[in-house]
Amino acid sequence: MHELSLARDLMGAIERKLDRGKVRVVRVSVSVGSAAGIVPESLRFAFRVVCEGTRADGAELSVTTIAARSRCADCGIIFEFDALIGRCPGCGRLGGELLSGDEMILRTIAVADV
Amino acid sequence: MCDTCGCGISSVRTIDVNERLLASNAAQAEQNRAHFAEREILAINLMGTPGAGKTALLEAIIAKWRESRRILVIEGDQATDRDSARIRAAGAIACQVETGLGCHLAAHQIHDALHHLDLRDGDLLFIENVGNLVCPALFDLGERLRVVVTSPAEGADKPLKYPPMFRAAHLVVLNKCDLIPHVPFKLDEWTDYVRAITPHARILKTSALGGEGLGELLAEIDNVRQAFSANIFA
Ligand SMILES: Nc1nc2c(ncn2[C@@H]2O[C@H](COP(=O)(O)OP(=O)(O)O)[C@@H](O)[C@H]2O)c(=O)[nH]1
Ligand SMILES: [Mg+2]
Ligand SMILES: [Zn+2]
Repeated sequence: MHELSLARDLMGAIERKLDRGKVRVVRVSVSVGSAAGIVPESLRFAFRVVCEGTRADGAELSVTTIAARSRCADCGIIFEFDALIGRCPGCGRLGGELLSGDEMILRTIAVADV
Repeated sequence: MCDTCGCGISSVRTIDVNERLLASNAAQAEQNRAHFAEREILAINLMGTPGAGKTALLEAIIAKWRESRRILVIEGDQATDRDSARIRAAGAIACQVETGLGCHLAAHQIHDALHHLDLRDGDLLFIENVGNLVCPALFDLGERLRVVVTSPAEGADKPLKYPPMFRAAHLVVLNKCDLIPHVPFKLDEWTDYVRAITPHARILKTSALGGEGLGELLAEIDNVRQAFSANIFA
């Protein structure tokens, strides 16, 4: 359950960003690469728990998954995939060198005045 | 309250952030890394399944190097200090971090542990992470070398099932290779899967009990240590 650590980290980033502003967090959006190993449902669950009793209590967490990219180790083709690991569309070889897709980014925080 | 019609629903505004998650762990890890580099301390993050033989490998390494170099070990486990006791019995300095609910070590725990260790310039520092093929992959500790340890009885397909962990590794160790003849495990298949996930990582077979491959493992650590020192003084 590294999603719990991630949710705590997310909460910390939100608190730093909002500082002492008198606001309530309505929605938070993050994007994660498909190869990062983050389960969106687990992250949403952990976030709900971490937010309890804070100004983000009840906030909605939207998780957008971004396709990952690998370079095939055999034929060199660069291809996209939507999973932890992909298969080269050229030669069928599994995996390859991951070029992108392990990112985890806090995109936006939607707030309302209290 | 809404400015437009006074309906009582306050207006929502969106703040753009675009920051990486785990940025504070990354910052602490960089601080640890800089501290290690300054003092020429080679830090090695040992990850892998529970029971793959991480502690047994450390015991074997300590037995070989106890006389010639200072070895310190930070032991991460959910509970107990059993592994620290094993490390001390083997002849090295150990510090236990009990992670409790945490399923991995984080960079700040390494920083805190350093305060309890008599670290000296040129030391070799091993960090035995919590046994787990998922969570530790995400948390940089400031190490120079990341090692993933697995063993044959876990099955050949583990690299495919836990790609982020194997992708994070500089060195993948198949320990308990003495068990290969006794379990349905195809070494070629396993090697192909590791290669699929991480084309460049080094792969070694060891037996912490029988001693096979230990020489290669020590040589590999020495290579990294030399490259590390050369880098610092470059
Ligand atoms: N057959 C065999 N058993 C081993 C080997 N290395 C460790 N073990 C055994 O595997 C069990 C788990 O080892 P341990 O070092 O505690 O694993 P850790 O959880 O990864 O630290 C112990 O009973 C060890 O004696 C090995 O190379 N071969
Ligand atoms: Mg252990
Ligand atoms: Zn290909």
